Amino acid sequence: MVRNKTVLLAFRLVLGGLFVYAGAVKVLDPLDFAQNIRNYDLVGQSLSLIAAVVLPWLEILSGLFLIAGVWKRGAALVISGLLVFFVVLTVVTMIRGLDVDCGCFGALSRKAGWSVILEDLAMLYLGMCLLFQKRRTSP
Amino acid sequence: MSEARRVLRQALAIGALGLIAAAAVHFPLIKRFARGEFKESFFQAAEYPGVRMITLAEAEDLWAAGEALVLDARAGSFFAQGHVPRARNIPAAGSGDALSREILDRPRDMTIVVYCEGGACQSSLALAKRLHDEGFKDIRVFSGGWEEWTKAGLPEEKGDGQE
Repeated sequence: MVRNKTVLLAFRLVLGGLFVYAGAVKVLDPLDFAQNIRNYDLVGQSLSLIAAVVLPWLEILSGLFLIAGVWKRGAALVISGLLVFFVVLTVVTMIRGLDVDCGCFGALSRKAGWSVILEDLAMLYLGMCLLFQKRRTSP
Repeated sequence: MSEARRVLRQALAIGALGLIAAAAVHFPLIKRFARGEFKESFFQAAEYPGVRMITLAEAEDLWAAGEALVLDARAGSFFAQGHVPRARNIPAAGSGDALSREILDRPRDMTIVVYCEGGACQSSLALAKRLHDEGFKDIRVFSGGWEEWTKAGLPEEKGDGQE
């Protein structure tokens, strides 16, 4: 795990920024995102809409907290949890042979596949470094 | 241990704030859903004026006339097992590279019929939206899909459709 403070700050800004962006594009078009979730064919209409309304705000808020350096480990936990979920979801989708848009970054989204998994794992690494960083001890 | 609890509490607080923000910002949308909108799909017809739903009879007529382009939005493996004769396979719940030049070079006013498995399948609608975004003006979504087509005993074709 990375311990260097500057590197950890960079991780926070990059990961936080990515999550704020990912959440913001979804908040702007919740119905499109709800359709994306529905396309995975795992949950029905109601749950798709609830997830489409709530998930983007989790992404935005955890990203903002991470950038601001407030509750940063809590934010890293939320982000890491979401990323683990996204990886499992993408693997299951690939096993089921579905051709769906990942719905991850609005217009920059692409088919749920290996590249999405690798991207999520890279972000998960940043999240884990931030989650398990040593707590600053008071002098 | 207390540190882990502190982190967990922070995460839960972020979750709670997320719920509050979602409810506040999307209240009008939630109200529309509670009133019964979006029960079948998240499709808003007003945003896609060229897209409309059709029944089996309409789909069959359009197919029999032979003038409409029929697109099957299911995955290739399902398409190969059986599809509407002369249909092209565009496995598309949205992955960006699926619309080939062969589709994009067609006149924008041609009639296109799209279908998927049927029931609650969503990919035909997703494909219809993408065709609309590419400028096509007459897109008919046969929502009964493959299930209804085969139940009605209509003609089938097998193979991947690539001559």
